[in-house]
Amino acid sequence: MALPPPDPQFVLRGTGAAVHTLHFSCGGPEPDIPLLFSGSENGFIHVWNLKTHRVDSALDGHGRKSVYCVETMGGKDRLLSQGRDQRICLWDLAEGRTSVTDSVFTEHVGFCRCSLLEVAQGRWLMAMAARSLEEVQILELPSKTSVCTLKPEVGAKLGMPMCLKLWQLNCGSQPVLLAGYEDGSVVLWNVSMGKVLSKLVCHQEPVMSLDFDSEKAKGISGSSEKVLSIWSLNEQQNLQVYKTHELVNAGISDITIRPDKKILATAGWDHRIRIFGWKKLKPLAVLDYHTATVHCVSFSDHSKPRERLLAAGSRDQRISVWSIYAQT
Amino acid sequence: MAVFDTPQAAFGALRPACVQLTRVQTVENVRQLQAHLAGVSGAALQELQEYVLFPLRFALRVPGPKQERLVQSLVQCISSVLAATCVKKQELLQELFSELCTCLAPPPSSGKAAPLSEELKLAVIQALHTLMHSAYGDVILSLYQPSTLPLLGFAVSLLLTLAEQEKAKQIKISALECLQVLVLQCDCQEHWHLDEDEAQQCGDLFASFLPGISITLSRVIAGDIKQGHKTTVSAIRLFYLIVGLVMSDKQLARIPKNKEKLPVEHSRISELMIHRGPDWTKSTAEKLSLLLHKVVESSSVHPHWKVRLELVELVHHLLSNCSQSLVDSFSHLLKALVGLVNDENSEVQSRCNKVLQGIAEQRIVAQNRALADVLSENLHSLATALPRLMNSQDDMGKVSTLSLLLGYLKLLGSKINIVLNSVSHLQRLSKALVQVLELDVTDVKIVEARRSGPPCPLQQGVQKGRYQKKYFRFFTEEKVFQLLQQVCRVLGYYGNLYLLVDHFMGLYNESGLYRKQAAMILNELVTGAAGVGVDFLQEREVPLNMNDLKGSITSILDEYMDQANWYLVTSIDTEESSPEQSVQQGLAVRAGGSSSSVLLLSPEPPATTRTMNSNIWQICIQLEGVGCFAAVLGKEFQLLLLSALYPVLEKAGDRTLLISETALGTLADICEACGYNSVQCLINENSDYLVNGISLNLRHLEYQPRASQVLDTMLRHSDASLLPLVEDVIQDVLSALDQSYNSQASTFLRVLHSVMTALVQWFGMSSTEEHRQRQADKGQSRPRSWGQQEVTITSQELERFFLDYVSQKQIAEGDLPDLEEEEADEVPLAKPEPNSDTEGEAPMPIHAQLAKDVMERCIHLLSDGSLRVRLKVLDVLELCVTVLHPHGNHLLPMAHRVWPALVTRLISDDPLAVLRAFKVLCTLAQTCGDFLRQRVSKDVLPKLTSSLLSQAPVSARAGPVYSHTLAFKLQLAVLQGLGSLCERLDMGESDLNKVADACLNYLSAKQPVKLQEAAQSVFLHLMHVDPDSTWLLLSEVCCPEGYEPPHASLHPVKLGGMGRPRNELTDNVLLLLQRLQQQEGTGPGTSTQEASPS
Repeated sequence: MALPPPDPQFVLRGTGAAVHTLHFSCGGPEPDIPLLFSGSENGFIHVWNLKTHRVDSALDGHGRKSVYCVETMGGKDRLLSQGRDQRICLWDLAEGRTSVTDSVFTEHVGFCRCSLLEVAQGRWLMAMAARSLEEVQILELPSKTSVCTLKPEVGAKLGMPMCLKLWQLNCGSQPVLLAGYEDGSVVLWNVSMGKVLSKLVCHQEPVMSLDFDSEKAKGISGSSEKVLSIWSLNEQQNLQVYKTHELVNAGISDITIRPDKKILATAGWDHRIRIFGWKKLKPLAVLDYHTATVHCVSFSDHSKPRERLLAAGSRDQRISVWSIYAQT
Repeated sequence: MAVFDTPQAAFGALRPACVQLTRVQTVENVRQLQAHLAGVSGAALQELQEYVLFPLRFALRVPGPKQERLVQSLVQCISSVLAATCVKKQELLQELFSELCTCLAPPPSSGKAAPLSEELKLAVIQALHTLMHSAYGDVILSLYQPSTLPLLGFAVSLLLTLAEQEKAKQIKISALECLQVLVLQCDCQEHWHLDEDEAQQCGDLFASFLPGISITLSRVIAGDIKQGHKTTVSAIRLFYLIVGLVMSDKQLARIPKNKEKLPVEHSRISELMIHRGPDWTKSTAEKLSLLLHKVVESSSVHPHWKVRLELVELVHHLLSNCSQSLVDSFSHLLKALVGLVNDENSEVQSRCNKVLQGIAEQRIVAQNRALADVLSENLHSLATALPRLMNSQDDMGKVSTLSLLLGYLKLLGSKINIVLNSVSHLQRLSKALVQVLELDVTDVKIVEARRSGPPCPLQQGVQKGRYQKKYFRFFTEEKVFQLLQQVCRVLGYYGNLYLLVDHFMGLYNESGLYRKQAAMILNELVTGAAGVGVDFLQEREVPLNMNDLKGSITSILDEYMDQANWYLVTSIDTEESSPEQSVQQGLAVRAGGSSSSVLLLSPEPPATTRTMNSNIWQICIQLEGVGCFAAVLGKEFQLLLLSALYPVLEKAGDRTLLISETALGTLADICEACGYNSVQCLINENSDYLVNGISLNLRHLEYQPRASQVLDTMLRHSDASLLPLVEDVIQDVLSALDQSYNSQASTFLRVLHSVMTALVQWFGMSSTEEHRQRQADKGQSRPRSWGQQEVTITSQELERFFLDYVSQKQIAEGDLPDLEEEEADEVPLAKPEPNSDTEGEAPMPIHAQLAKDVMERCIHLLSDGSLRVRLKVLDVLELCVTVLHPHGNHLLPMAHRVWPALVTRLISDDPLAVLRAFKVLCTLAQTCGDFLRQRVSKDVLPKLTSSLLSQAPVSARAGPVYSHTLAFKLQLAVLQGLGSLCERLDMGESDLNKVADACLNYLSAKQPVKLQEAAQSVFLHLMHVDPDSTWLLLSEVCCPEGYEPPHASLHPVKLGGMGRPRNELTDNVLLLLQRLQQQEGTGPGTSTQEASPS
């Protein structure tokens, strides 16, 4: 009999609204305090000090509209956030500043999180859903110049993009975008040519979240159904269904593969966080703490593996932080 | 008498006397000369020194037996001359010296000490003393040549003999002082200062006398106490001076390898000379060690403090001069020194401390490896003997042993680490400490002392840093404990903290026997390491590394707060100590508040008082430790609050008095360390940490009681600002409760109770106050209006009263059509707050929502099987009602749902529950009077009154045992509650009559007194509601006085109670009527008016 699932290491309270996105910044050297950024429905981004477990500062930049994506750019001093006010803000947090240095108006009404990829020192590509329904736009940051716009063929009827994942095989190679669409299909785009490389229908319902492991060339996606879909990318750049995994309860709002590619975590509408082994999708644990839909899961980037954490944000306004490295 | 300043004049004056003395040596002549001497100035006498001395010396040298008195006066005269002059010639000095010595020498024939008079001896000694002082520096040195060695030896042995064998104190002391001068160690400052070579030379010479001097002196020192302390003091001083000189490290270092060859003519003398080579030094040191041991032993316990003080000086002198040559003796010497630190005489103490300080400051120990070895050896042997000594010695003995230990540690200073690094040393020491610190855990009171009732606010009980007094098995004296504390702190101060913490943590984990002591030691170690409250002699070499300290503290804290060490069985009747038990025992255990009398035997072998006591102490010590750590870390402790605050607060809610008190102290320490003004502040600022802990613990059934305890404590000490956080966790509690109604209901009810109490406190205040105000107004309005009327009653008023009365009566009978208007008048009184209409649409405030949620759970629990639970639920229910009071729209539906269960409590439950249910009903009545009035009169009153009526004859007949029956209690409860219920609900007349009728029987003197009293209370309440009808009713039963109608046109008053014979009801009725009169504040006149129309 397996051990009973662990308790959260601690629970962060005080966001005052449902938590939609989480992002760790713990990789800094010793005197740096490990941080966790959380974006919540009331438009605030909270910066949590993981030593004291308290909010260091609360950033208000999205006009009290829900913040659903937070990413750091490089260190913990530059932050990108996306909100329902249709803006993507770039923050300067160095030396205690809390100012928005730049912002991008997306004109996108959905809640598709943007995806960020550092292509060179200080230069990022960002994929985001654009104004017209099916389009995805790629921008270069910080210059904000548009690289290309990815439009599906006429009549493809993919629906809105729901989730994006920009990646490149290794530094310098072609950036590629994986996009999950409303109709349940996952599409692989060549960013530089703006062409569809492959398309795979994985789900009957909109793809809520996906993550991709470029080492194993395998990805996973979740939708509002009871199924997790694992697909692989072959050498001809074709997406193929590799496996599906049946869940007990329907609805996955977020999927994250741990940086070491050993396990993955899903955020479920059934209030539960599920941990799977990435290799065979073996269910490892069901973390049951929240009392409402879990919106997001995130793994920390601590330099020492023992310190690494998993955080989950939920509609019950709590962020649960788990230490599951020791167990797995 | 004329003074002769010039030598010529002086010569003229002295000459005759000198001549005369040369001729005839008589005492008279000597006296004459002495008389003349007095008139001669010092300068003049210096010129004539030899001339004057000649006759005196001549007289001494005259062969043949001499009169003792003559010799004495001669010697005295010589010494007066010498006192005024200087000896400038070496020959003169040597001759005088030998002549004076000869005076004391026994006649060569007899070979025995001459039976000389004591005066003579004293005179000679003083003359020698004076002689030594009158000689110039270089002149006096001539005396200390190898050639004069025999002469010196003679003098030394003479003086020693005198010092040892004489009876007279004066002689002994003088002889010792003279010897001191003789070895050139005089206390006075006038002496020629010897340079190094000269000193070395003297050292060589005196080395020959050392054996004799030291042996004799040690005998003198150890001699009879009757010889007086001065003798002993002088002897000790002389002893250390001579030893210090001869064995001086400095001198010995300069001794050449081989003996110098002296010129041939001194060959015999050179045999006498001693070469202070290494061999000699070693053997002498060995012998001296024995003597020193003897000296130390006798003088360290000498009754006179000056002797002990001198001993301190001895140690100081030898330690600073001979720390290498006499190293073997230091174990005795330091032992003596360290032991004297706690001398009863403060002067000895302070000097001793100063000396120790000096030793430490000069780093004598630190630089001298051998000395450190000696000390650590001493320490080792002491540590070995410590447990035995602690067992056998009395408290005084323990104090001295421990101060010895402390002294060693302090002296070793940073060298302690040498000792600690040796496993055997560390183990000895720690075992000894652990054994000595064993607590006495047999006191039963500790387990018995429970916190009674709900604990008072933290602030009252909090006293900073007040640690619990501990009782030890092996000692009772507080001083002993303080010394042990110091020992640990000094260890922590100098020692390697990691090593020590590691070692004692090992002991802590090794056995339950050591755990408490090890924890105590760890606490003190950390305190010491931080340099708090340590008496040290020298600063440590390496300043404290704050990170090390923090690391150590964190690891100790982790260990302390480990499940196995933090949650111990401290009593048999609380489930928080053993969760498994509680699950089995289910509902029965939780004794609400003060009722801890319910003892349930656990299925496991019951924990003995001793182990529980021990557990309690362990928790206390660990709590004290947390306080220590906070104090030591200051603001840095803030980071540890994350893990430490929750467990401490948990203990603050413990039901064992000792633990909760200690935890409160710890909280106070934490407040101070982290800069919080009050415990409330601490809890408020860190409530997020607490909530986190509570929420996580609530997830496990077995931790739930503890989590609820913390929540309880937290709620009691925070304010409304916490509500959002609290709300969050209350929801957790409720959902936990929902999952385990059966097993944990009692636990959670306690929490719900405190939640609701807090909510009432935070939010309910305004509304309840308002209400009270309103009640008061209502209550007052009537008497006041009556009172005013009473003052000026006119016929018009009287007339109006009757008119009013008639119309009222008609209304009451339903004659008038404007009935509704009347009702409308009444409604607003009982109606909830006017703003409640708008409230309905607006979202409920959080606290009201919480109250509603809690009330919902109460409905389910009202019919719980356990009485305790039911009682608690009723309490909680009452609080819920209070909180929901301003939100009538929500309260009324809830009240509707509660009603059926509540009615059951009222009419068929345990008396206790009935009473509480009445209270709830009354509270409910404040808010929803209308809502309840009908239901009460329909559902409750009939049953209650009928049961009262049917029981009345039973209780009236019953004997004294009846008061123990359930029926009695039920009657009592109903009677006690009924009155206030009627008043609160403003019941209608018919209901009131019903109640009054039912209760009247209980006014009977045949009823048990308690029931009578309760019935009285019912009537008293009724008087508030309707004084008139109550008066009438009572008067119908018994009326003490007749009433004259004020006007002839009125009918004469005729009441049922008039003229009745005295019966069982009379007493109580009269009493009540009297109270009624008092209450209405009027005389019988008013009553007459009221009553007359009937």
